[in-house]
Amino acid sequence: MTFDCQETKRHVHEYLHNELSEAEIKEVTAHLANCDSCETDYDLEHFVNNSIQDACSEVPPQELAEKVLANIRAMQAGIDHA
Amino acid sequence: MTSYAGSLVSFKTTTLNSKPMSELNSAQKSAATEATPKAKSTKSAAQKALEFEQLAIPLMPQVYGMALRWTKNPSDAEDLVQDTFAKAFNAWDQFEQGTNLKAWIFRILTNTQINSYNKKAKDQAKVSIDQFEEWQLGDVESLTSLSSRSAELEALDRLPADIIKQSLAELGEFQQVVELAVIAEMPYAAIAEELGIPVGTVMSRLHRGKKKLREKLLDYAIQEGYVSDPKLKSDSSKATQATETTGGNS
Repeated sequence: MTFDCQETKRHVHEYLHNELSEAEIKEVTAHLANCDSCETDYDLEHFVNNSIQDACSEVPPQELAEKVLANIRAMQAGIDHA
Repeated sequence: MTSYAGSLVSFKTTTLNSKPMSELNSAQKSAATEATPKAKSTKSAAQKALEFEQLAIPLMPQVYGMALRWTKNPSDAEDLVQDTFAKAFNAWDQFEQGTNLKAWIFRILTNTQINSYNKKAKDQAKVSIDQFEEWQLGDVESLTSLSSRSAELEALDRLPADIIKQSLAELGEFQQVVELAVIAEMPYAAIAEELGIPVGTVMSRLHRGKKKLREKLLDYAIQEGYVSDPKLKSDSSKATQATETTGGNS
């Protein structure tokens, strides 16, 4: 069994998210090595994923970070005294 | 993975200039690190807190960003983040070192959000069992032709972060799955379990969500002049028309 372009393109997200079997990964990798069109597709989706990750972090307010840390210290103290 | 390292560094310097726990109990720390790491139950409270601070706390910018997009309200987002980290700390013994910590924390976030903050979310997630035959049966055409995909990539590279966030927020029922797969890097099975939907629906929403997102970003890039390639423009207008005829399901 060899993946054609359609099958390869259909698996793009599963490949990027590590949801394929080893056999399928081999098929996709082999196809990508020989197909510019599919390779560009994969690059593009990978790039979009990176852009989403970069765009979606928000520096939390100082106060929130302090509250979370204080909370954990309080819980730790609770464990120590248990 | 390295791409958000920069934001974490700046987060560390801005938020942790209050005394970190590692300084508060450096004596306990050295004692803790000498203890055998294999027996989880013997882990001291200090070691547990130190590990948590070093491994989990740096994920706060991503967790807070997600909480903000989900609650659309800074005060609710802060409550959600606090609850999530408190629960994660309590369950820290159950986390298996070496496995995907980010996915683990985001699972707790998703669970907390659905159970405590927005019971509606669970119902909404279940509302429709999506048709995923569309992409399974080969609707896998590229949005753009090969020659213009490099132009698309270039255009996307220049888009402001706000546009990406805004476009994500406009994905409707696809939004959460795209975020959990791409940002949280959660396995499909975990996403399916948390949202109470079949794995096939997770796949379907990810595929369709990403396609929709690329269309939105490309449209914006063309409108705002990030793209000059005329071929890309005509490709995209075709893609947009196709969306309009099949759209309206969010």
